[in-house]
Amino acid sequence: MKNNTVKIKFRIFRFNPSVDSSGRWDEYELEVDKSTTILDVLLRIKEAIDPTLAVRYSCRQAVCGSCGMIVNGKQRLACFTRVLELNSSIVTIEPLRNLPIIRDLVTDFSDLFKKERMVKPYVIRSDVEEITKPTGMYLQRPEELLEYLQFADCIECGLCSSACPTYSTDPLFLTPMVLNKAYRFTADSRDMGLYDRFSIIDSEHGCWRCHFAAACSSVCPKGVDPAKSIQLLKKVTISASIFNRVKKRRVELALRPHAAESPI
Amino acid sequence: MDADRVRSVGVVGMRESVKMLLHYIAGVTILVTGAIHIMSGHFKTLGLIKTWDLYSVNKIIFLAAVLYHALNGVRVILTELIPRRGFSDVMNTVLIILGLSLFVYVSLFVL
Repeated sequence: MKNNTVKIKFRIFRFNPSVDSSGRWDEYELEVDKSTTILDVLLRIKEAIDPTLAVRYSCRQAVCGSCGMIVNGKQRLACFTRVLELNSSIVTIEPLRNLPIIRDLVTDFSDLFKKERMVKPYVIRSDVEEITKPTGMYLQRPEELLEYLQFADCIECGLCSSACPTYSTDPLFLTPMVLNKAYRFTADSRDMGLYDRFSIIDSEHGCWRCHFAAACSSVCPKGVDPAKSIQLLKKVTISASIFNRVKKRRVELALRPHAAESPI
Repeated sequence: MDADRVRSVGVVGMRESVKMLLHYIAGVTILVTGAIHIMSGHFKTLGLIKTWDLYSVNKIIFLAAVLYHALNGVRVILTELIPRRGFSDVMNTVLIILGLSLFVYVSLFVL
């Protein structure tokens, strides 16, 4: 150790589908200190050693969910993982599993986003008049907010879907990220769209294909616990489809006299 | 991604939640009826149960629960391994016919 820095060997998976027939491992040795993150290392390699290394990132503070990758065998955010926390002299970095590789550490999320659109990830209401010409805002009690608050923290980094054993065998499975999103809106007291999402979440490849391995929750960097939201979604699905029982919700509207005049 | 590929409900058109709730109920039923069946054969004092008329009903319920639970388990595994709509419909039909045939055969000729 010199000047509080440590020399660490990084093994990085390299693969360009348009050129390579298979992937390879490139090795780099860099000095890191206690504040160096995996993203810092990758950007240093890109800037000083190998500019062809492909990395996707944006916010650098675990908010955007762009830099998900597998570090030492576990799904992590590169910007949120300090190298020395790994306690390892050799660090392996791979792209996320279960998703097609665009290049090197960048994976294709199109499948996840298409599935997300299928579950209608927004508040659905039947009072179209109020939605199109708002006269106020819907009130929500603190206890109603708590029903979905944890699940609303999802940053869509896809780590959960990459860790999911069901998604690795069943490419049609909706994945924890999408099912969590479906529950987040279903549990929202302002939402009335359970039956609009029903044909997708209660399908052969919907929430019932989750076998509760809970790998998704163990890798979530935001503590969302998608495994829990999927079990809660199963409960809601059973109540609605078999017992025809959907939680009755009465949403109060706080009138705002000038709401109709202001542009949305 | 085609929504219809995910949305597949199979040949009987039963919702997945209904199939899975029945799967769990069948599992509990196996535990209860299986326990009655095993205990009546192993404990002399409980052997009397075998003489009751309802004992044969217990065996029939046990058989139905085992068949549903097992074949639905096979369906779930194959649905994940071969996620194709055409295959899913054929598989569901085959499993229903297999289940009903086994139920009729075992309840009439074995039990």
